[in-house]
Amino acid sequence: MAFNSLTYFLFLPLIWIVYQWAPDRLRWLLLLAASLGFYAMLKAPYLLVVLCLAAGVTFTVGLRLGSCSDETGRKRLLWVGVGANLLVLVSLKYLPALFFSFNPSLFIFNGFANFSPITFHALITIGISYYVFQAISYLADIYLEIIEPEPHFGHLFLSLAFFPKLLQGPIERSGDLLPQLKKPYVFDYDMARSGMLLFAWGLFKKVVVADRLALFVNTVYGDVHAYTGLPLILATYFYALQIYFDFSGYTDMALGSARLFNINLTRNFNAPYLATSVADFWRRWHISFSRWILDYIFKPLQMSWRGWGLAGTAVALLVTFLVSGIWHGASWGFVVWGGLHGIYLASSVYYKSWQKKIHKVLGIEKTRLLKVWQTILTFNLVSFAWIFFRANSLADALYVVRHLVEGIGRVRAMLFAHGTTELIVALLMLAVPLLVKTLAVTSKRLDMPFCLPIPLRWAVYCLLVISLSLFSVDSGRAFLYFQF
Amino acid sequence: MELQARLNEIFCEVFDDDDINIAPEMTANDVDGWDSLSHVNLIVAIESKFNIRFNQKELLTFKNVGDLLNCIASKI
Repeated sequence: MAFNSLTYFLFLPLIWIVYQWAPDRLRWLLLLAASLGFYAMLKAPYLLVVLCLAAGVTFTVGLRLGSCSDETGRKRLLWVGVGANLLVLVSLKYLPALFFSFNPSLFIFNGFANFSPITFHALITIGISYYVFQAISYLADIYLEIIEPEPHFGHLFLSLAFFPKLLQGPIERSGDLLPQLKKPYVFDYDMARSGMLLFAWGLFKKVVVADRLALFVNTVYGDVHAYTGLPLILATYFYALQIYFDFSGYTDMALGSARLFNINLTRNFNAPYLATSVADFWRRWHISFSRWILDYIFKPLQMSWRGWGLAGTAVALLVTFLVSGIWHGASWGFVVWGGLHGIYLASSVYYKSWQKKIHKVLGIEKTRLLKVWQTILTFNLVSFAWIFFRANSLADALYVVRHLVEGIGRVRAMLFAHGTTELIVALLMLAVPLLVKTLAVTSKRLDMPFCLPIPLRWAVYCLLVISLSLFSVDSGRAFLYFQF
Repeated sequence: MELQARLNEIFCEVFDDDDINIAPEMTANDVDGWDSLSHVNLIVAIESKFNIRFNQKELLTFKNVGDLLNCIASKI
């Protein structure tokens, strides 16, 4: 079930109430049953078997890794565990698409559209890639002797399947999550309060801001050939904002849900569009995922190729981000998106030292102007790559790229496609999170709005609820990152 | 020369900063410019100066300068 569905609005409080009454020794069981029930409601019960099997293999291999002292044996066990998890991912995510609708001329997968309901294809992989990534990270951390294997199958299974982060992450490290799941529960008013607010805030970002921006984005990206120039640029910028508010909104709802159970999940976003370089962007965007690919793909590759000098790091970056693109889906659009980020980062390996020297010579090293320029440039580089991520096909993406700089085009048709009121509401609602962020940063109070006096704080709560009921676009719209 | 002093020299050379004074508890956050790129340069420089070779597992588990020192000490 989705976080923005009525079912979840009933499910979450119900589980929370039962959790308050449950004895500590049974709490893990309650959360595990709730997580599996939550997943089963996706109407793909066979996936539960997959989750159980993957957890079983991960648990067994983890225990054996922990007790094995022979290095060759440990390496072999690691590869067995990683291989089994990758097999699950590949067989569910890539093989069906390859088998049923591979179009070699375009390398575009049409899902199961001609085979069975489209929902089957959409459901088949939900959460699996996040689940598998966490299982691999658990095994790798045991191999690297960063953590001990978990002796309790139920606890490990829960750490992999905990419902707030099961469908779209954050990708948690077992070392961070397992100890929290084992701690005795004591009701914490501040945690519960901040959890509920974060949940409501995430919902606002999703159903009020992201879904409204989607109206404009879909108008253009649904029929790119009807537009040239400025509307294509605006739709791309809007998409950059849409995907941020959609995904970070989801993450806020995940973190908020987990806080109700005294669990702190990893922060996944840190003002990514204020990044001053693409490398900085990846330290702020989908942080749990970028940490994962950095630790388990980039670093081992970089170290293996350390004898190649700068080229070793550049090639490792390129390969890592190509893998990241393919992880998002088997289509050329994602491959080009990952490849572009790989090229941005790989080229910076060569020009970085020169860039520093030039800034030093010009005396602009630590100026505000340079920072602003770098932020704008990074946002544009990232937005350019989003074209390939969003376009319905590679041909559409290439059309957008070729017609980006062609005057103002049908900009009015794009902006007023849904009426003047919708445009004004969109701009006003977009201003809310920007204003909140600015206030929190300038006042240096990260505990906003809890630091406000009671009347003002309640005014914020009321405004949030009112805007949610008045300005929600369509609560049935799925989260963008569900498909990955 | 003591191991820590020899390693300190390599740090100064790689990070182009003569004022670096390494300590066992020091991490990448404590040295200006210690990112993934300079880290690989540092590893290559250490391997070449001490004539040793780190394995993948060692390279992925260094948490601070102390871990690095212990690993070098175990190999020379």
